[in-house]
Amino acid sequence: MSKIKYSETADGIRLLCVNTEKFKTNYINIDLFTPLGEDLPAQYVLTSLLSHISGNYPTVKSFNSKIESLYGASFDSSIGNYGDNMRMSFFLELPDDRFALYGEKPSEEAVDFLTDVLLNPLCSDGKFREEAAEREIRFALEDLEAKKNDKRAYALSRLKQLMCENEKYGVDSEWLENEVRSLTPERLFAAYKKLLSEAQIVVTACGSLNEAMLYEKFTAFANKIENRNPAELTSEFVTGADEIRYFSESMKMMNQSKLVIGLRSGMENESDDYFAYRIMTDVFGGGPYSRLFANVREKLGLCYYCGARLIKQKGIIFIQSGIENENYQKALDEITEQLNVMKNGEFTDEELEASKRALADAYCGVEDSPSGVCSFFASQCFAKSLVNGEEEAKALLKVTREDVIKCAQKTVIDSVYLLSGEDSNE
Amino acid sequence: MNKIKEIKNELLNERYFEIDHFSGLKIFVYPKENYSSAYAIFGTKYGSIDNCFKSGENGEYITVPEGIAHFLEHKLFESEERGAFERYSETGASANAYTSFDKTCYLFSCTGNFSASLEILLDFVTSPYFTPETVRKEQGIIGQEIKMTNDEPSWASLFTLLGAMYKNHPVSIDIAGTTQSISKITADLLYDCYNAFYNLNNMALAVAGNVNVDEVLAVADKILKTAPDKKIERNFEEEPKEVVSRYAEKHLDVARPLFAIGYKEDVGNTRRTLKQSLESEIMLDIIAGKTSVLYEKMMNSALTNTTFNAEYFEGQGYGAHIFSGESENPDEVRKCIDEEILRLQKDGIDKTEFERIKKKHYGKFIMDFDDVDAVANCLINDYFNGDGLFDGLSVLESITAEDINRRLCEAIDVENSSMSVIKAE
Repeated sequence: MSKIKYSETADGIRLLCVNTEKFKTNYINIDLFTPLGEDLPAQYVLTSLLSHISGNYPTVKSFNSKIESLYGASFDSSIGNYGDNMRMSFFLELPDDRFALYGEKPSEEAVDFLTDVLLNPLCSDGKFREEAAEREIRFALEDLEAKKNDKRAYALSRLKQLMCENEKYGVDSEWLENEVRSLTPERLFAAYKKLLSEAQIVVTACGSLNEAMLYEKFTAFANKIENRNPAELTSEFVTGADEIRYFSESMKMMNQSKLVIGLRSGMENESDDYFAYRIMTDVFGGGPYSRLFANVREKLGLCYYCGARLIKQKGIIFIQSGIENENYQKALDEITEQLNVMKNGEFTDEELEASKRALADAYCGVEDSPSGVCSFFASQCFAKSLVNGEEEAKALLKVTREDVIKCAQKTVIDSVYLLSGEDSNE
Repeated sequence: MNKIKEIKNELLNERYFEIDHFSGLKIFVYPKENYSSAYAIFGTKYGSIDNCFKSGENGEYITVPEGIAHFLEHKLFESEERGAFERYSETGASANAYTSFDKTCYLFSCTGNFSASLEILLDFVTSPYFTPETVRKEQGIIGQEIKMTNDEPSWASLFTLLGAMYKNHPVSIDIAGTTQSISKITADLLYDCYNAFYNLNNMALAVAGNVNVDEVLAVADKILKTAPDKKIERNFEEEPKEVVSRYAEKHLDVARPLFAIGYKEDVGNTRRTLKQSLESEIMLDIIAGKTSVLYEKMMNSALTNTTFNAEYFEGQGYGAHIFSGESENPDEVRKCIDEEILRLQKDGIDKTEFERIKKKHYGKFIMDFDDVDAVANCLINDYFNGDGLFDGLSVLESITAEDINRRLCEAIDVENSSMSVIKAE
């Protein structure tokens, strides 16, 4: 297992570094976290803007040519929820310096490029350059509007919004689109300044990158940010549900209906019986050995996919399936029945062991790719101590049947959402 | 007797073993030091396009229902006693399978119990068991898979385009078939296809990661039996050089229209060489990559957005350079791409750009070797295409700007393209 080094710069930038010769790739990831709030529309645009142009590389062509010249480096960004918080990520990967053809050090240049992109965007007089800002607002808007193209993801996002309407987590997509539409270069710039000042910043690196070099560069990076004052991150954990809420919407020209169910697991915080909940969700709806796969798909043949996923940062479980409209009640009844099987402890020892073996096996392999190493450790960036994949696997193997039943008994259905096709193409 | 050959690459400091197994199967073992996980993939050169074939000496050509290769992939997981998933649940491996236009592959990844999982893989793929009842049940499940992909705009866009480009070639048929075509599949037909294509001489096994030759051969020697090499003949109707139609559209509820523009290449019944494929990839970066003049122009003029992409699509008897993305004005996008291709065909490419893009492909090639999944998948792909895993590096090195200029003129004819558009009514 690799050795991970943790350090923190004076201005609260967390640095997680795995120094290894195992890979031919160097990977570096910067995460910025803030509480979800009114800046989200601007943050949406910034995620794209900061990864497309910069003060030193003001055109799309010059910016991408720089990245390409680093031996085909990949550079990208993403934005999403982290519980009730926003997580914005910038990641860059490139071949290790030993493959450079002319003795240069592309990896150090890549770190400089990454910090420069965040510190020196294309702006002047307190605003982003107008045409660039407009273009990026258009990109963000088109990206938001196109969310409905992916029916499966769209149905999930609708359920999240409806189920968590009173939590920050349930971001209103209409509000988000409208706010993005009304953004100006000035407001974007103000949000950018606030982001650097208030975000919890976590840097994760894997490869032959030297920790001392990274520490020095990110200390200098932090020093250039004005008024560093990272905001505290919290997430509300709602437990229980008074009664099940049912929602249904329709979409034109759709062949298959999407059923999404949101459950409150009863977790009160991220580490509350986490391993037991992880196993419970997996026996219920994880791999092909799970209750949902074996019954909803294999026994009843109702769908191609039916699975459950635990959102650790919120203590929510989402079940997703694609079904025929007419099978809605049948599928819902069977899923409810399988949840009851979990609550009553009627799952077999073989199913429990299968889940433990599969999850533990997967955890033991998380350190076999540079991006895997970074995402695994980045997910623990706010934990009190860091554990490696094998330690995580050991903790999972300790979970007992009683632990799983206890978790299932606390789990309740909160909301059921159906997205159905208005007509069929077939 | 098994014949073992070691293949090394000094620049990468990597090596793997190529084994001619006594059973007739080609096996590749790629050990990776300091890795915990192993990935194994067992594939047959049989995909959705192989729906008219004859096998053995005296047989006649038979035509089978569309989507049967994919259906067979699903059904092999079942057996008379315990299905493959149930058996894997005892080893902890994560298993899956996929069917493409020209191959079907079964795979697993694991960190422990490697030999036991490999035994399951080799055993279930070589032990077919189909009954009318299990076939019927699967029709429901695959029917839902087909409906799911029919709702995916980018999938619909690709197949609408292929339908507009190809008159006879089965590449235009959806890999999973249609709900109608799979209703014609029977257990007997599945056995016909299985017996023709799941012959070890038509298959390969690739394993990468925390593995060694001895443990792989111990399992292979135990499970696999010598298979006589049966001749397979595939029948493809002749494909005209010209596209079927310049334009086709389909309606789905999308936010803005999706376009796919394909320039059909005249390839007869052949495949492109590795060099031609790499030339095409470099060429597409020069025409429409993120550092191209065209890309910047299309972003700034609001003609399209960051979904804009170009890819080279090729296989036995088909080849096309495809540009896709979202746009309110697909006709204008098509005009811009045509103009840029004509300009480059006339003026030639910029040498500095070419060198930078070549360096990019060199870097991407190297990075692929960190990932055991990618290594094993490439071993299978390259073997079925007649190439070696490390060949790409030397071929890339040999490509010149003149090669790209030549390929640009030979492979793309702006008069011979189709465009598909997916839009709301």
